[in-house]
Amino acid sequence: MNLLGLFRPPPMDPLLQVVSGVPIFRDCNRAELEALKLHLHERNFLAGEIVFDEGEDGEGMYVVIRGKLRANRKGILTKKSLGVIQAGESFGEMALLGAGPRMATVVAEEDTTVLAMFRPELVALAQARPRLGYKIAMGVALVLESRLRRFADGQSTEPSAT
Amino acid sequence: MKPGLSGERSLEHPIIWIAVIAGALGSILLLKAVAWLAFPLILAVVLYYLVQPLLQRLQLAGVTPGQALGIFLGAATILTLIFSLTILPSMLNSLADFQNQIPTYWDRLQGVLRDNLLALESRFSFAKKAGLANSLQEQLNLFLAGSGKEYIADVALFLLHWLPSLLLVPFLTFFFLRDGTAFHRLVLRAVPNAFFEKTLLLFDRMDNQMRAYFRGMFGLTMLDTVSLGLGLWFLGHGPGIFGFWDAMFLGLICAIFAWVPYIGSGLGGILAVATVAVKAPSSSGLMVAVVLLFLGVRLLDEFIYTPMTVGRALRMHPLITVMMIFSGGMLGGVYGLLLAMPLLGIFTVLGQMFAEIWFDPRLRARYQARGLLEKRLASKDLGI
Repeated sequence: MNLLGLFRPPPMDPLLQVVSGVPIFRDCNRAELEALKLHLHERNFLAGEIVFDEGEDGEGMYVVIRGKLRANRKGILTKKSLGVIQAGESFGEMALLGAGPRMATVVAEEDTTVLAMFRPELVALAQARPRLGYKIAMGVALVLESRLRRFADGQSTEPSAT
Repeated sequence: MKPGLSGERSLEHPIIWIAVIAGALGSILLLKAVAWLAFPLILAVVLYYLVQPLLQRLQLAGVTPGQALGIFLGAATILTLIFSLTILPSMLNSLADFQNQIPTYWDRLQGVLRDNLLALESRFSFAKKAGLANSLQEQLNLFLAGSGKEYIADVALFLLHWLPSLLLVPFLTFFFLRDGTAFHRLVLRAVPNAFFEKTLLLFDRMDNQMRAYFRGMFGLTMLDTVSLGLGLWFLGHGPGIFGFWDAMFLGLICAIFAWVPYIGSGLGGILAVATVAVKAPSSSGLMVAVVLLFLGVRLLDEFIYTPMTVGRALRMHPLITVMMIFSGGMLGGVYGLLLAMPLLGIFTVLGQMFAEIWFDPRLRARYQARGLLEKRLASKDLGI
């Protein structure tokens, strides 16, 4: 019997493993991710179901656990696809910064599982754990910075996906 | 897409307003029916909102939520032990003394009332014709001989009935503090995807409303207690009517009475004047000073304390407030009086959010679309 195994922490929740790979939460340690877990809401969407609409007030962000979604934005005449959101990616981060309108409509392309994080809950968590709050705020800032850079470099036609 | 109606405008719909009032009054009836559980539950919710900021401060200092709860429970147990060993015995002694003095106080109160009515009779002929002093004496004697005894027995039974259920309060508070977030998530799992974000917002608004109300009421009660207590002590310590802690205790009782808007402050004032009348029956000037003190604190309440603590979030039209309080009192007695306004506040938020969700055609369309997708998925291999 391997006695040292008793002192090893139990394996991480698979959902948290996905969350830990998302750029916004990459710097969070295990204790912080466990605290975050209490505020994650798992939602299942069927293929063709809308997660949120463009122009709707945004209240939180999502992390894709399984499946695939598409972000669309209304053009002057036709709908414009902004791209596909895959498992392990996040969307709707702008809503963490304020209750502004959503910048795109996100539709599930196949049966999809996401983890939703609600802004007021994350704000309360950040107030209780300022270090975690700082990491999340920096994470959001870095994601937005990379999107702006891609837009400036001409690799993307929109400064922000959602 | 924007919701069909904004939060404020949605409440203009008369059906929503009727539903909000009916919901608040209906829940008063429901709470009265299960009062043995509702009473400790409400106290536990109040304690939860009062204790939560302490736990958050502990978490800010770097401890985990579980450790914060443990530290709080430890501190609460130690404080309860200290209270039981030091202050509680002297409080029980004072209570026993007070119980022995009740007949004397009752006689004095009757004397003060009788003297004042006799003075009224000597000045006005209509009062003399009505025989106010004698009829009051008869009514009080009848009350003491008949329903008074029953009433006192009812109150004693009521208190005995409540004591065991009060033991539930710390138990419930502990689980609210420990598992509140998990329970919140469990409830949200039942919400359809289309309404999920709006429902989260509803929970958040309700939580904020209740937190602001209970914390505000606690702050307001403390401010009222200190103002009234200091005022009563200042007026009464010279003639030897009130000691410092007596005045503070009476201030606290009057501040609790003031939880019932409009009516409560008046009842508190009557209680304080009656106390002065019993303790110093000849000092009518002091009674007038106590009335002025209550009026002064009422003004402070209105213009300084309430905006500082509870704010104006739960402010309704005075007519609706009074109607709700009387209806609540009629339906639910003391509970109804105390709970009418907080329940109306909660149902107002619920009504606003329901209207926002229900009158938003896009959200309903998304909900129906999900139903169609499920149906299509379920009948895929049936060739329909």
